[in-house]
Amino acid sequence: MVGLPFDCLSNPLGAVRVTFERAIASGSDPASFDGRDWGVVDVLRECLFDQGALTQVPILDHQSIRWIQPNSLVRFRGMVQDMLGNEFYVGAFKDGSTWRTNKFADVASFPMGSSSENRIWERRLLHCVPVPGQSSWTMQSSSESVISRSKKWMSQHREKRVREDDAESCSMAPSNEMQDSPPGCKKMREGHCHSLLLHEAVAEVSSSKSSIEFDTDSNCFSCLVKVYDTMESDVKLNDVFEFIGVFTYNPELMIQMDDEVPQDLYEESLVHLPPNKVPRLHCFIQQKLAVHDFILNSPVTEPIPHVIRGAREGLLDHLRSVLGNDCVAAQCVLLHLLSRVHGRVDSVALGKLSLNLTGFNRESISVFGNQLRSAIQSLLPFTQSFPLTVEYLNSASLAPRKDYKTNRLVTGALQMAEGTHLTIDETQLDSGILNSTGISNARLLKNLLECQKVEYDFEYYKMEMPADVQLLILSDGKSNILPADLVLPIQPSVVRPSTNIAPEALQTWRWYLSSVRTLSHDIDPEMQKVLEDDLVAARQEDRSLGSQDFSRLLTMARLISTSFGETRLTFDHWQMAKELERLRKERLKQ
Amino acid sequence: MASDSSPIHSYSSPIDTTNSSPGTASRRRGRPSRSSTATPPPQTPNTSRFAATPDETPIPSSTPSRRRRRGSSGTPMAATPTSTDDADAAPSSEGGEGEEAEEAAPMFVWGTNISVQDVNAAILRFLKNFREGSAKTEWKYMRAIHQVLELEGESLDVDANDVFEYDPDLYTKMVRYPLEVLAIFDIVLMDMASRINPLFEKHIQARIFNLMSSTSMRNLNPSDIEKMVSVKGMIIRSSSIIPEIREAVFRCLVCGYYSDPVVVDRGRVSEPARCGKQECNSSNSMTLVHNRCRFADKQIVKLQETPDDIPDGGTPHTVSLLMHDKLVDTGKPGDRVEVTGIYRAMTVRVGPTQRTVKSLFKTYIDCLHLKKTDKSRLQFDDPVATDTGSGNNREEDPISDYQDRVEKLKELAAQPDIYDKLTRSLAPNIWELDDVKRGLLCQLFGGNALKLPSGASFRGDINILLVGDPGTSKSQLLHYIHKLAPRGIYASGKGSSAVGLTAYVTKDPETGETVLESGALVLSDRGICCIDEFDKMSESARSMLHEVMEQQTVSIAKAGIIASLNARTSVLACANPSGSRYNPRLSVIDNIHLPPTLLSRFDLIYLILDKADEQTDRRLAKHIVALHFENPESILQDVLDIPTLTAYISYARKNIHPRLSDEAAEELTQGYVEMRRRGNFPGSSKKVITATPRQIESLIRLSEALARIRFSELVEKKDVEEAFRLLEVAMQQSATDHSTGIIDMDLITTGISASERMRRENLLSATRNLIMEKMQLGGPSTRILELLEELNRQGNGEILLTDLRNALATLSTEGFVAVHGDSLRRI
Repeated sequence: MVGLPFDCLSNPLGAVRVTFERAIASGSDPASFDGRDWGVVDVLRECLFDQGALTQVPILDHQSIRWIQPNSLVRFRGMVQDMLGNEFYVGAFKDGSTWRTNKFADVASFPMGSSSENRIWERRLLHCVPVPGQSSWTMQSSSESVISRSKKWMSQHREKRVREDDAESCSMAPSNEMQDSPPGCKKMREGHCHSLLLHEAVAEVSSSKSSIEFDTDSNCFSCLVKVYDTMESDVKLNDVFEFIGVFTYNPELMIQMDDEVPQDLYEESLVHLPPNKVPRLHCFIQQKLAVHDFILNSPVTEPIPHVIRGAREGLLDHLRSVLGNDCVAAQCVLLHLLSRVHGRVDSVALGKLSLNLTGFNRESISVFGNQLRSAIQSLLPFTQSFPLTVEYLNSASLAPRKDYKTNRLVTGALQMAEGTHLTIDETQLDSGILNSTGISNARLLKNLLECQKVEYDFEYYKMEMPADVQLLILSDGKSNILPADLVLPIQPSVVRPSTNIAPEALQTWRWYLSSVRTLSHDIDPEMQKVLEDDLVAARQEDRSLGSQDFSRLLTMARLISTSFGETRLTFDHWQMAKELERLRKERLKQ
Repeated sequence: MASDSSPIHSYSSPIDTTNSSPGTASRRRGRPSRSSTATPPPQTPNTSRFAATPDETPIPSSTPSRRRRRGSSGTPMAATPTSTDDADAAPSSEGGEGEEAEEAAPMFVWGTNISVQDVNAAILRFLKNFREGSAKTEWKYMRAIHQVLELEGESLDVDANDVFEYDPDLYTKMVRYPLEVLAIFDIVLMDMASRINPLFEKHIQARIFNLMSSTSMRNLNPSDIEKMVSVKGMIIRSSSIIPEIREAVFRCLVCGYYSDPVVVDRGRVSEPARCGKQECNSSNSMTLVHNRCRFADKQIVKLQETPDDIPDGGTPHTVSLLMHDKLVDTGKPGDRVEVTGIYRAMTVRVGPTQRTVKSLFKTYIDCLHLKKTDKSRLQFDDPVATDTGSGNNREEDPISDYQDRVEKLKELAAQPDIYDKLTRSLAPNIWELDDVKRGLLCQLFGGNALKLPSGASFRGDINILLVGDPGTSKSQLLHYIHKLAPRGIYASGKGSSAVGLTAYVTKDPETGETVLESGALVLSDRGICCIDEFDKMSESARSMLHEVMEQQTVSIAKAGIIASLNARTSVLACANPSGSRYNPRLSVIDNIHLPPTLLSRFDLIYLILDKADEQTDRRLAKHIVALHFENPESILQDVLDIPTLTAYISYARKNIHPRLSDEAAEELTQGYVEMRRRGNFPGSSKKVITATPRQIESLIRLSEALARIRFSELVEKKDVEEAFRLLEVAMQQSATDHSTGIIDMDLITTGISASERMRRENLLSATRNLIMEKMQLGGPSTRILELLEELNRQGNGEILLTDLRNALATLSTEGFVAVHGDSLRRI
């Protein structure tokens, strides 16, 4: 395709208009575009992915929002925190004799006569937040790169234009660039004029920097994403997505907030998400992200056996030094970090391996607990931790709860993305009285531990949402409130001050954890027979072994096997699993 | 055309109707050649109840005002015979429709090919001619209209299924163009009403319900706008009642002149700029007189999807409902309802002062009819229980898909292996324990409760006790049943007190009255009360169960309240053996360690023991290995999901009431006699009771439940056989005398087996003999341990100290010996 008459990055709405008009001109009926794309997404895809412009698209976060200008293309990575239902809007309408579209826009760009013909379409509203517990290393790297890129990008434009404004201020670059562009089509001009007007209007409100005063900070940054033409099943609650779309900011809509009489028919949820706090994003393309999408600059793309083994050894060493030279604990932690729910049968979640490290007291927790926590934080993209105390249980709101006053899902500490790691420090727990909140919170945690499910409170009923959370419990004795799959008393021998790890090594380990974790796994029929025989023999010996113990053993075997990058369980690994379990049992008896 | 006062839209609330309607009024007539003055559209003002509830809503004073308004608006109501809202309008003849068709040129609803006259005629035909009942003799709606007239009602409920049955075309039109068709519907009703009773002045509205298909809230999309939809959901919030002004009256502050009522137009009241009185004519002097204005109730209700409609990983959708007049407050938050209404959308203004219209629409449903539905758990109402007054809007359960579901269930029941299939479906993730599951299945279905005219009643509920080693998934079974049971309460023995289980009396802190609060057992009336850790329950709490489990009532006598509450509940309890692990060396009864009085009230007692059986171990191992390494979906057997299972059970409990066939009764008697005979060994002095009358009741209940499982109204021989088998399995596990291996009901009823009793008697006589031999009357005391050694030396087998103490206690009551601590003396 020859050079496009618009800049996809700074004026995506131009692309929307041009493609729409092209489609109409080619004789399509606007009614047929209901729930369907007319080609704009293809254009953008080509621009972003084939021509590699994706890296030029800034990532929207609480910092970049101050310098990204409205109506430009942005990326946003976040977790779907709440679904606000569908919104009906005038998708296409007739302005005089020409059809116009409002898709991907909050406000009609052209006056809509009340009598004009129009088509009503719908879009989905998603309330998205940055992934809870996202480690700083995943974000830092991304935002740094974007800032440097955008600075470069901005300076390029500054060369073109002579404008003495603060570079950080709401730059008019894109709209002005439009003026420079060769006369494309008439509509383009109009569109650009409009956006220019809009910018000026914004600028009028207050000068330069404060023009878009976003009232956001890193803690409660969120984004209202409007998604078009998707299947219901594509987007689920707590999924992590990357949305690429237009960031819109409409000062007009703010006025509404000031003096609107709250009327019940309006969606209250939107009232509580004012545009100056919650940016709007009209999404063109959305991609579901997995944990490994957050690992940047993967050193290796393909799993090569010796690299995996090397990474495994290195990581195991690292974990051992963190845990005071406790080899068994290091192995258990490694397996724990690799665990994920790979299947569910009825209420049983397969593949989870929660770990309870016991033998911590208040002194040792400050040494090993903190070391372990920071080690995990530097290894996994999403980590969270909280202390388990009576006060915390009694006061915290762990489960997400539907607030019918605002018609929103109020998030709770247990609303987490898939693959989040959660550390619970039980050493702080004193005796005390739990109130009803405390009891239900304790029950929630237990349920999460046992079934990997979180009950969301919808006031009139509860709804169980599946979760996939790796739980690590640090406690003095075996935790009875939180019965983990694997209980191991830690036996540290030396206290080593935390050493600095080479960033390359960290990168490798991150990559190792995220890629090995997703490996599929299988078993030979012969091996299956061996397993069965071993289990039967074990049970004949010790009647107290139950299905839970078997499940744990099999999960451990599977994880040991995957930790070597294998997709098939071998006899050696099975022996290793049994040996590890034996060592663990021995320790428990001591 | 402006004079065409078709109010379908003219009074529309703030709500701007969407594109299709604004034109309706002005362009309703098909032929533009006709001058507007001749427009006789039947849509008199009172037809606009959807756009905004009619200004005409029957308020006694409304008639005069209506007339006045019509006069003032100058609408030529002239020719149409349908505009009969004047009571004294020329009585149209029977063939009114026909005449009309001739007289007036066909009018069409704008944008459609629907002729107003055709629809009018079709509705009239439907109302007049629709009959129901098997014999088709009842004129359903004519009778209903008469009823409405008699009761001075305001609305006529119209079953959309009836409309469909009578005239599918009318139904389609009604669903697609509800605003127009319902307006005509109302006019026809008014017309008929005034013909029947010329003095009837109220406005009757047609309330349509029970559409052929109901839409899921999730699937409401732009194409549904302005259509009639039916949505199921749960009310989550209702606003306070909003008085919406319908007619405003103004008064001149200068001369005190009252204006004519001003009708609200599109949510706006236009305040007269000048006083209407010629002489006064002062400007800006008019003020609103509140108490002379007319208001209508309005309420905004939020409806949310019910949990079962929400797909995986979704959040529930909500939709707003607009309720008017009578519908206000018909549903409360938490109610599950089915709503029929018109899906509407309105544009959103950016701000009240701005004309810019956001490109957005807010959607809501203008509610026509609201029906409370029963929840997915299909709570089962036995005929006795339904006597609680049903709500005014509660219909008889005519859900259209209900029949389909029943058909499906019946198909299921007809399968030959349904019994096994249900067993398999019950807690499929719990391994083995098939017979326990069968017993639980029987409990879920239950037997028939019987009430004799004499007042004696026999319970139909089956009580089950599970005793077993820790870690044998008893609690999981309990939880599963709790989830499945139509009404289930789960209680843990340790955390339950006697009053918490039954009922307690408290003083209301505000009024000071004593009130009765129900406990778990009363709350699970007609359900299953699951009690975990039955053995750890306090003695007093357990004793409360005696009454509940046989008499099925809870009697309270305290603080001035003497009451007997129904607690027709099945009890499912589980307990650990007394030593927490089953001790095979002790007798069953010593292991269970529950009072025999309570034990005998359980129909089935299962011992779930963890036996060292390689076969089961292998199966378990295989299962778990498969679970972990195979595709989880592939190992799911062919089982019923929980909703189906619940529906199946509820339906059976509600509708199937099996009776004993003669054959089955015969089998029962024979079996029972056989069981009792088993205890009599020829030549043995021991009399073992292997069956008691309680057993035969249990057997009847079990066989009834088994018949229910098959949806059979008759208990057959095979049911009885299976019941015997189940009972025997349960008894073999619990009531087998450890020392002889024979089923011994004495174990359950008295706690002591017959052989044990024999042993005790032997010991007693041996002790007596020994004491007679060795000790003199009034002689020195002897230590009990010495006595024990002596007895053992005599070769009476191993005798325990406790047994000896028991024997001595018996002897001391006879006055034969005196026991002081460790020593005894003969007296």
